[in-house]
Amino acid sequence: MNSMTAIPLLQVKDLTIDLFTEHAAVRPVDGVSYDVSQGETLAIVGESGSGKTVLNFAPLGLMPTGVSVQTGGQIIFDGQDITKLSERQLRSIRGKSIGFIFQDPMSALNPARRIGRQIAETVELHLGLSATQAESRTLELLKLVGMSDPESRLQQYPHELSGGLRQRVMISIAIAAEPKLLIADEPTTALDVTIQAQILQLLKEIQSRLHMAIVLITHDMGVVAATASKVAVMYAGRIVEQGPVHQVLVRPWHPYTTGLIDAIPRAEDMPGSLFRGLPGAPPILGGPVEACAFNPRCAYAIETCRNRRPPLLATPTPPVIAACPVVLGQWQEGGAP
Amino acid sequence: MLSLIFRRLRNSIVLLVLASLLCFALVVSAPGNVAQLIAELRSPNATMEDVRRIEEELGLNKPIIERYWDWLEGAFTGDFGVSYRTGDDVGASLAKRIGVTGTLIAGGGAVALVLSTLFGFAGAMWPGRWPDHLTRGAALLGASTPSFFVGAMLIYGFAVALGWLPSFGKAGPASWILPCLTISLLPSAVLSRVIRVGLEEAMARPYALTATAKGFGRRAILFRDALPNVIPTYINALGTQVGAMVVGSIVVEPLFAWHGLGHYFLMGVQFRDFTLVQACLLLFIVFFITTNLIVDVGMLFSDPKLRRQKN
Amino acid sequence: MRILREILSYLAELPKLALFAVGVFIFLGALGPWIAPYDPNIQDLLSANQGPSGVHWFGTDHLGRDSLSRLIVSARTSVVGMVLVLFIALSVGVTIGTIAGYKRGWVEEILMRIVDVGLAMPSLIVALAVIGILGTGYWNMILAMALAWWPGSARISRAVAVNVMNRPHMESLRVLGANPFRIYFMHLLPSTLGAVLVYATADAGAVALSIATLSFLGLGIQPPTPEWGQMLVDALPLLEWSPRQVILPGLALTGAVVGFNLLGEAIALKRVPTLLSSSVLKQRRATALLWKRS
Repeated sequence: MNSMTAIPLLQVKDLTIDLFTEHAAVRPVDGVSYDVSQGETLAIVGESGSGKTVLNFAPLGLMPTGVSVQTGGQIIFDGQDITKLSERQLRSIRGKSIGFIFQDPMSALNPARRIGRQIAETVELHLGLSATQAESRTLELLKLVGMSDPESRLQQYPHELSGGLRQRVMISIAIAAEPKLLIADEPTTALDVTIQAQILQLLKEIQSRLHMAIVLITHDMGVVAATASKVAVMYAGRIVEQGPVHQVLVRPWHPYTTGLIDAIPRAEDMPGSLFRGLPGAPPILGGPVEACAFNPRCAYAIETCRNRRPPLLATPTPPVIAACPVVLGQWQEGGAP
Repeated sequence: MLSLIFRRLRNSIVLLVLASLLCFALVVSAPGNVAQLIAELRSPNATMEDVRRIEEELGLNKPIIERYWDWLEGAFTGDFGVSYRTGDDVGASLAKRIGVTGTLIAGGGAVALVLSTLFGFAGAMWPGRWPDHLTRGAALLGASTPSFFVGAMLIYGFAVALGWLPSFGKAGPASWILPCLTISLLPSAVLSRVIRVGLEEAMARPYALTATAKGFGRRAILFRDALPNVIPTYINALGTQVGAMVVGSIVVEPLFAWHGLGHYFLMGVQFRDFTLVQACLLLFIVFFITTNLIVDVGMLFSDPKLRRQKN
Repeated sequence: MRILREILSYLAELPKLALFAVGVFIFLGALGPWIAPYDPNIQDLLSANQGPSGVHWFGTDHLGRDSLSRLIVSARTSVVGMVLVLFIALSVGVTIGTIAGYKRGWVEEILMRIVDVGLAMPSLIVALAVIGILGTGYWNMILAMALAWWPGSARISRAVAVNVMNRPHMESLRVLGANPFRIYFMHLLPSTLGAVLVYATADAGAVALSIATLSFLGLGIQPPTPEWGQMLVDALPLLEWSPRQVILPGLALTGAVVGFNLLGEAIALKRVPTLLSSSVLKQRRATALLWKRS
């Protein structure tokens, strides 16, 4: 336990992921590094297709049928490199030391099975409990995630619950074996706005109780502000800015981060005022590019941005780092780099 | 739930009435004078007097509605009339033969159940590997090979060449093996495809990913998560295949000299024995509609969304 | 030309084996009598039941007829029967189905109830019952099978017709007061025909199989016209001495049906993600190798 300050629970070092499908080979994650300590929440922010989901799921063997994964770099989790593990070894980590929450709780729960069984089987698998022990543990879990009347919930099917309750069930499955790390992929996106806050609050409570690390994947800067302590902003498979939430949100350096923050609707906005979105669309995934992927949408882009890959640089507000040498004064228009 | 069952039941009854009407109309619309046909069958030099007597005897001179009603009323009490050709009581013959066809279909169904489950799971367990290719190929062949050809080959292999099993007749379990295998071929093939495709689809769903995230392996996910979602489709297909086996019995029974309903129906068709054709047809229709109803209700029960619907 | 290219590119996506089997079947069906080395009905009792030889490649049957010639000409019998049955069944089915889909209301209700009854009965049983009433004979068989097959195409064409009629431009045509006949013949019928023809491909195998089954039962094609099912039943008493005569027509029939079933499956198959083949995987890895790790 006292090692938590010394070595982070999860260290991702220069991770590259290539996906091969029947139609194409793509590199959705390209040279990504970050770390998360126990009790800490890292938010990974980006638009859909930025590689944030692949980054977290592919190395753990969570990819749909028909996709083959090849990784480079290291993912040190709890002292071992996950990229070197076999499928069998990964299986003993999934659900036990790492829990997962998915975006859409309706499709992520099995429609043909009772809630109780879907939770209890995880408990049985990882904690080696008998059926009756598992059931009482399931009841405990349902109470922990704030479900009323847990006994009758056990017998219900997913379609009989509301979206918020289903996500609570997903959370109880994810934390059933008290994992050290929880990976939550857009846990509130599919939910009503009022329910979103409740679920985020619940995640926070559970985190402090179990002392878990959380990796929160989201596209919503509001969610980041409400829950995370660190944030990594991803664009087209690369991290463009990274640092403590209270610093990055207040003083973003990368034009993309600035755009994301500006896109949050504010209280002082007049009703009917123009929506401030980012112009353009994120690039379609392919091979790695020798350029700043954001340059077509960027107001600051100069010639160099189109033919050199911008490195992550220290900013005037350490420990924040950002991949925009233009804003940080390293690259100038016309001048030699 | 109850109202759903009730609706299905009502549809089935409407279907049954329509089908029985059609079945009756088919025979009434037969070209030529039925009474004359029978008279000629009984004695080559029949007179008009004979024909009229037969008409009287069979009630053929009554109005059509009345004839339909008589026929239906008789069918309810198991009285299907007598065979034109042999004069046998059709109802009694049906009763005697129903067990034979029952054995065939029950045996074939059991084989199909086991084979299709094994094949379907083997394919889904190792997708893209040799068990998958093998079971897929077997299913394609099984669905395409005519049952009379397979039956003939089985007879040649196990009865003629090896001499292990009797080539025809129905005397004890050993003689059941070849006919049941033959008739199970098509349902085995179709059902294993149903399981294979159903499991594959279920494994591509997000809940299968959830199960992977829980730490379960492919086999556990197939059984715990994919299988319950395939069952409704499987029950539906099973119902259709039971119907297909009734059709199969028309070919398989004569091939193995089993005297069941399929054989009886075929005889009726071959000798244009209308009472017999009509009786078998009605029996088949009742059987198909009942199977459909059972399948519908079974599907209602196997799908929690429908089973637990309020009202 | 464009249409031809479209058809060719469509065919290229279908399984080769299926196209080959169906191609051979239809080719023999069209040209069989000119390809067959002998007249399939010439008897030569002196050379009955001979095994394969240079003279008779596949041997002879119990009447001394050349087996290869009979197998080839059988394809013709089968193809002609299949086309006739499907043509009649589709004509009736599409007419009933489109009328139901166009008129809706009680017309549709009545027509579809009749279709339901037809669908509740397996095709072969309907066909047999009709033959039982009409008696055996070539045209009786064709008629009986068409009667058994029309409800399926009726249901499909109704579904397509309803779909077409619900499209916005059909609605505007109707509101603008276009001639109903024009709507029916220019818009509804062509779209429906396309969909139903695809369905017919998938069903052609079942029709071919049923013709053979009826002939096997002695209720379809009558001797001496060569037909696989009937050849098989003819040879059944000889199973012990000359299994070749049973196996050959059985294999020919199975081959044709496999072709049609594969074709139908490929056409109807919903695309489900499949595993990468090892060759594709190698190719993708090679692509990734070209990317510099930067």
